Amino acid sequence: MTTPVLAAEGLHKSYRLGRTEIPVLKGVDLQVLPGEMVALLGMSGAGKSTLLHLLGLLDVPTGGAVRYDGAATTGLSAAARARLRHRHVGFVFQFYHLIPELTALQNVLLGKMMHRSVLQYLGERRQVKQQAIDLLTQVGLAQRLRHRPAELSGGERQRVAIARALMTAPRVILADEPTGNLDSATAEGVIELLFQINQERGIAFVIVTHNEDIAARCHRTVRLRDGRVVN
Amino acid sequence: MYRLFLALRYLLTRPINILGMLGVTLGVWALIVVVSIFSGFIAVVTEHIRSAGADLSLLARDGADSPFERERPAQPLDEHKLRELLEADPDVAGTAPRLVHFGLVHRRGHRPPPPPLLGRSALQGGDVPFLFVLGIDPAREATATGFRSWLQVRDPALAVADPDDPLRRIDDLPTMLLGEERMRAEGLKPGDKVVLTTGRVAAGNVAATAIEPLHVEFAVAGAYRTRHGGFDGNNLLVDLVTLGKLLRPDQAHPVQELSIRLHPGADLTAARNRIAELARQAAGTRPGETGPVVRTWRERNQSLLQSVEHQRALMKIVLIVIMVVAAFLMYATLSMMVAEKTGDIGILTAMGGSAFGIMQVFLSCGVAITLAGVLLGTVTGCLSAIYLEEFRQFVLGLTGVDLFPLKVYNLDRVPHELDPVWIAQVAAMAMLIGALVSALPALRAARHDPLVSLRGA
Ligand SMILES: Nc1ncnc2c1ncn2[C@@H]1O[C@H](COP(=O)(O)OP(=O)(O)OP(=O)(O)O)[C@@H](O)[C@H]1O
Ligand SMILES: [Mg+2]
Repeated sequence: MTTPVLAAEGLHKSYRLGRTEIPVLKGVDLQVLPGEMVALLGMSGAGKSTLLHLLGLLDVPTGGAVRYDGAATTGLSAAARARLRHRHVGFVFQFYHLIPELTALQNVLLGKMMHRSVLQYLGERRQVKQQAIDLLTQVGLAQRLRHRPAELSGGERQRVAIARALMTAPRVILADEPTGNLDSATAEGVIELLFQINQERGIAFVIVTHNEDIAARCHRTVRLRDGRVVN
Repeated sequence: MYRLFLALRYLLTRPINILGMLGVTLGVWALIVVVSIFSGFIAVVTEHIRSAGADLSLLARDGADSPFERERPAQPLDEHKLRELLEADPDVAGTAPRLVHFGLVHRRGHRPPPPPLLGRSALQGGDVPFLFVLGIDPAREATATGFRSWLQVRDPALAVADPDDPLRRIDDLPTMLLGEERMRAEGLKPGDKVVLTTGRVAAGNVAATAIEPLHVEFAVAGAYRTRHGGFDGNNLLVDLVTLGKLLRPDQAHPVQELSIRLHPGADLTAARNRIAELARQAAGTRPGETGPVVRTWRERNQSLLQSVEHQRALMKIVLIVIMVVAAFLMYATLSMMVAEKTGDIGILTAMGGSAFGIMQVFLSCGVAITLAGVLLGTVTGCLSAIYLEEFRQFVLGLTGVDLFPLKVYNLDRVPHELDPVWIAQVAAMAMLIGALVSALPALRAARHDPLVSLRGA
């Protein structure tokens, strides 16, 4: 049996508002195998984004554990979680989250600059830059390298964000409504790109979506209801 | 690497950063320029004072500067005995005796006190009709002060005929030397006859309670010029023996003051203390009794020197207020940057950045802005201090406005003295303030919850 790249075991998350405790996740179990594409469905407010943040180690669960390649991540320091997150996962968000001061190329390069010293980075600058250009070419933005986010369309911005997520060669990409902000034709193109990447690179995906068609095309669909996973 | 890269991009793409930088530049510039002018001024004034006096002055008694403190007349110094003692001292290079008196000078047939010289400040002796009359021994004066160089005046027509014997009698009259500015202002030429009006203790009045007036005709020998305008305006020099005979016909050789020059490198304070002890012994002063004292040149001009130094210290405090304003500007600049960039914090964290790294990005932005401001301020500050004279002349030629009236202070150009220690202190202080003030917004950025940025669009 293969080890899941990403696993959640009995994840609990509750938010405290004043004196009342609001449970959002009440024991989520989820396993994502290498190269697997999982669609995550659920009502608005069901806790999909919350789960994604926990899986990406951006937040700490109230209970339960997240495992990367079988190894528990519980109790790690903030710095260790940051390093692990950098190496293991990539994120794609509904609102792209590109840095407005940087060009498309620089936004993609930024991922490779993390957790590298200046000297290290300068040493491999040429390859890294070529790699970023290749990625942007692959997502269809060869002509947009020097454009700022403000000079790009929504679909183009999301493609830059995808290229950025790929830059560090993650094992899993966590995508939170990646097409939520796009019209259906553009969304279709972006989803196509995600499937293509999944096939070519064998990267696993967890895609949060409200679109049943997209969900149906994934390997597996998972639903969040009342803080638990129902298949 | 991303920290450096992002900090650079944030710095270069936001023109508002220039505002923060200029604040720091202005503060550093002002602190360097103003303090360097003051330091230069102090240096020049000190040098001027130095040029008009001896290293040490041995005075007949304490309180010699204030006649009201005297309960009995000062005992004249036993000059012969002191001279012998002092010349045995290894640090002493030369000594010169002096008599210090007062008087009014006017031309025969004119109104006795010279009329106030309109437009001349008291510092130059313009409207002070009252003069100190110093009795000197020209040959010995030259060994203790810069007397020989004082005789080289700017206007050759006012110079003494024979610098080797400057106070030689003219037409069988005793002669006097006047400060060059005063002599010119009063239209006097060498050889002119003037009357010195003064007073002396009435003959036979041992308690020295009665003063009798004295009018003596003198000839003007010529002008002298130290670099200390205040000295030149207020002192006229006459022959020691002549003055002594006028004032105390009964006494052979009265002396009130000894000017002492030390060998270069001698310890001023140590020599002062040693010579004071010698003088007290020679005068037979008992412990606790007031007697002869020795003052260094610095002590004699303490009030002037201290007041300029005090002004410089005040200026520093005033200017540090500018740094406070600069700090607020820096704070505002950085706070704006952080407020606008909170949106980036979420994605940076998602990509593997840490709160500490995010703090470093903003902190290094603040430090870089401060550093640029400090460098710019230091360079422009030093350049402005050095070229202020050229700038003054430029403004003078352009508008006729004199920014810095040099004549008042007897200066040739706007003085400046760049003190590397002060510049380093200013730079370090500015860097520290800049870093501290940037640290607050940077910490706020680090504490910002990345999930808030990621959830909200
Ligand atoms: N910081 C917080 N404090 C309190 N409650 C929170 C906080 N963050 C999220 N929640 C709550 O957690 C629940 C789940 O939120 P979450 O964003 O995960 O939902 P979602 O499934 O992603 O919804 P959507 O489909 O609208 O994006 C919501 O009810 C929300 O109000
Ligand atoms: Mg959501």
